[in-house]
Amino acid sequence: MNSLDFSIVLQAWPYLWSGLLFSLALTAVAFVVGLVLGTGLALVQHFEMPVIGKLVRGYVALMRSIPLILVLFWFFFLVPIVLGHLGGSGRPVPIGATWTAFITFGLFEAAYYSEIIRVGLRAVNRGQFEACQALALSTFDTYRSVILPQVLRVASPIILSQTIILFQDTSLVYVLSLTDLLGAASKLAQLNGRLVEMYLVIAVVYLAISSAASQGVALLRKRYAIARR
Amino acid sequence: MVQEIAVNEMARPPAIVAVEGLVKRFGHFTALSDVNLSVAAGEKIVLCGPSGSGKSTLIRCINHIEKHDGGRIVVDGVELTGRMDDINGVRREVGMVFQSFNLFPHLSVVENCMLAPMKVRGLSRTDAHERAIGLLRKVRIHDQANKYPSQLSGGQQQRVAIARALCMQPKIMLFDEPTSALDPEMVKEVLDTMVELATDGMTMICVTHEMGFAREIADRVVFMDRGAIVEEADPETFFRAPRTERARDFLGQIIH
Repeated sequence: MNSLDFSIVLQAWPYLWSGLLFSLALTAVAFVVGLVLGTGLALVQHFEMPVIGKLVRGYVALMRSIPLILVLFWFFFLVPIVLGHLGGSGRPVPIGATWTAFITFGLFEAAYYSEIIRVGLRAVNRGQFEACQALALSTFDTYRSVILPQVLRVASPIILSQTIILFQDTSLVYVLSLTDLLGAASKLAQLNGRLVEMYLVIAVVYLAISSAASQGVALLRKRYAIARR
Repeated sequence: MVQEIAVNEMARPPAIVAVEGLVKRFGHFTALSDVNLSVAAGEKIVLCGPSGSGKSTLIRCINHIEKHDGGRIVVDGVELTGRMDDINGVRREVGMVFQSFNLFPHLSVVENCMLAPMKVRGLSRTDAHERAIGLLRKVRIHDQANKYPSQLSGGQQQRVAIARALCMQPKIMLFDEPTSALDPEMVKEVLDTMVELATDGMTMICVTHEMGFAREIADRVVFMDRGAIVEEADPETFFRAPRTERARDFLGQIIH
């Protein structure tokens, strides 16, 4: 193998940067949508709502049992058809790859976050609910001010771990011809033939971001351990 | 309604808590059968009896943490039916202190005390804070106001729990074995707080085995066994000359 030439990476940096930004944006949106929706899904199951509870359970089980890449395909082809039917025209309404990615990741992650939160809800001591009842707090206030803050605190290390996985999974958007960090690198690598340099550099970027986040997880765990004692 | 019951009871002032023919089942197990109890405003009741006798279940029915299966419960003129408005109306006037404190671990001591007054009574943050500090001072723990429950001892946590309940300005306080989970050296500080509260004229129903406390503050000791009230008397009479065999056995076991 010839000597490595990293100057090529410097030239390519603006393009890689835009790829990285897309990965981060997708992670952020999927995180927010996933967590909000996932909390809702977890609560629906927690309250054991008659019909909708079963539906939600099925949704979560389905999402968790098929590969993300397949879900991406499905949404790319299915959502336009559904929108077409809803619009009444019957003709598919294309929503574009970017929207597909954001929607799919949000809905997919919601299933995973909901499982984390559902387990967290079960772990809350019964006495906490009784204390809220005794103080005449409404169900809404009970969950918003007492139960969910505790669940999110306990579950935050696991939620963050899941988010690190999510960040790595953003590379799957290549199937929609979108360009994330990995996509940008591989396109450039094909062009300039510097595969080793490109893949080395982005591996370092992934490593840096993921390990920084892992440090965050460790920190959260420690802080939580102190708070609990 | 309250008046009617009071008339039936004769001789006593109007009841603030009236329990009539109360039945509570857990599956096939009958935890309470035909329990009648009337508590006047300002009265202090100590409930005692062997474990599993239904005393905790009884007070948990009074603020509807347990749903009763038969009979009537009227608290401060409101009958507990299934209606959520009534239940919350009663809970607003009834404070409860638990054996295991049940403080909110993610909130500081003062925030624990501010939450319900703000959410339920609609107090402003400033007013709720002022009230909380005032009551924390009363239970002598205001210097710990910004700590978290996990940083306090058991006795301190239980005093915070008492202050938290008092912040709702309840008319009635229920105590469910408030000192049973405490190390022996911390029992006194909690009992002292409860005695002080009793002296202030609070209506109190306490499930406890602290017989010294019962002697000191109780107007009436109610002895329960196997889901029924077996004996009721003023503390002097109850401790000196219990009428029933079961009460004698029980006292023999707890007074070593």
